[in-house]
Amino acid sequence: MELFTPDFGLVFWMFVAFAILFFVLAKWGWPAIMKMIEGRADLIDKGVEYAQNAKEQLDHAREEANKYIEEARKQQAEMLRDADKMKTQIIEEARVAASKEAQKVMDAAKVSIEQERKEAELRFRDEVSSFALDIATKVVRNQMSDEKAQTKLVNSLLDELENKN
Amino acid sequence: MLSLVSMVLIAPLCVAAGENASEQEEKKINPKEIIFEHLGDGYGWEVPFNHHYRIPLPVIVRDYEGHWHLFSSSRIQHGQEYEGFMLGGKDSQWHGKVVGLRPVNVDGQTMMEEYRPWDISITKNVMALFITVILVIWMVLRVAAWYKKSMYKAPRRFTGAVEALIEFMYNGVIKPTLGDRAHRFGPYLLTVFFFILIMNLMGLIVIFPGGANLTGNIAVTMVLALITFFITNICGTKHYWKEIFWPDVPWWLKVPIPIMPAIELFGVFTKPAALTIRLFANMLGGHIVVIVLTLLIFILGAFGAAVTGFTTVVSVCFSLFMLLLDVLVSFIQAYVFTMLSALFIALGTEKGEHGHGAEAHPAGHTK
Repeated sequence: MELFTPDFGLVFWMFVAFAILFFVLAKWGWPAIMKMIEGRADLIDKGVEYAQNAKEQLDHAREEANKYIEEARKQQAEMLRDADKMKTQIIEEARVAASKEAQKVMDAAKVSIEQERKEAELRFRDEVSSFALDIATKVVRNQMSDEKAQTKLVNSLLDELENKN
Repeated sequence: MLSLVSMVLIAPLCVAAGENASEQEEKKINPKEIIFEHLGDGYGWEVPFNHHYRIPLPVIVRDYEGHWHLFSSSRIQHGQEYEGFMLGGKDSQWHGKVVGLRPVNVDGQTMMEEYRPWDISITKNVMALFITVILVIWMVLRVAAWYKKSMYKAPRRFTGAVEALIEFMYNGVIKPTLGDRAHRFGPYLLTVFFFILIMNLMGLIVIFPGGANLTGNIAVTMVLALITFFITNICGTKHYWKEIFWPDVPWWLKVPIPIMPAIELFGVFTKPAALTIRLFANMLGGHIVVIVLTLLIFILGAFGAAVTGFTTVVSVCFSLFMLLLDVLVSFIQAYVFTMLSALFIALGTEKGEHGHGAEAHPAGHTK
């Protein structure tokens, strides 16, 4: 059977062809391809790892940011509250100061009024006394116009003096 | 197979034209001869629609005096003699091969005797072999060049397809079987896989660059199996040889009659034989079925136009189915050959650290 007897020529060429094929591919083909495939697999692995890390970091960062936002919000609220407090305080203080000032002014006014009043009183008294003296002078003048009356008065005064002593 | 296809195309016309009896007699076909012609090798390459012309290929022979001859196959294609060489006739021992004539002395008379010279002609199969080698080199180096150029980009189209095959074989078969030795034998196994795959597929193409029944030729599969055999036995470890000559079986199986060593030693040689025959028979079978189905048209053509027409439709459908199946078989056989080679090499280079489980471990990956 021709089919089952290997032909020498074909065996020879098969060896030669396969040797050449193997030499070429083993030198320039497979190592380069395997290296690249492995390298790319590594790269992809690294990329995935990196992406995972990045995602984790991102999640972390988001959390952090949320925390900061929350904190900021709290601070803002606090500041607002503080400002509000301060505002009322300032107003209160201002009011107190104003009332104090007003009190002072009023006190001063009172004092001056008192003084004025005292002065007026004094002046009034002076005037009244001068008026009274005038009136008394006039009355005395009228009453003392006669001798009898004068003597009577002197006597009474002298009596008075005597009584006193 | 090529001229068969052209015959298929022409056949209905001939039948329709109404061949007469004498023409039929003249064209009477010999199925066996046709089948063997198409399965075997040849010194020229058929072209479509022409039974006479063959693409000439170089014939390289060494005559009985030790001189080398190189000439075109067209010089002896049609039975002519050239430089003392010709094609062996029908009754010759070497039918269809290049034979030479040399004078011999028989009973004191000088007679011319046919002899088979050393023949390393670039036959159809050798040419197909070269074409396949060039194709595989081109394919792999193109992919390698692409990787060098575009580094870590994702491969697409052709490169992607080749890479898928490489990954499939390397990560799917070679690495699990050979483990840390994968990088050492990977290049050989990948080369074998792509070489067989392309040879198989080229064999299915009917016109010129293909059509040679290369992997269905026992010389080709034998060489591949022998290379695996040599790698296995040359790289064989102490553990491998111990398993052959002193396997872990009860002593009376080894002494005084070495039954197990004999069986094991026999197994060393049956492995490459199995590799040879498996690939050879599978691919040959596929080619035979397609040819026989096609020939059926002409055999049954004797029964008239209606039968021929019907057979043509049926045969072409079946041939198409068989060819598609052969595409699958081409891949599977390349895969199986590579897988078994990997397995044999793995068994041969096993360090034996796993003790009894060593042999079972790589075997676990086979079907």
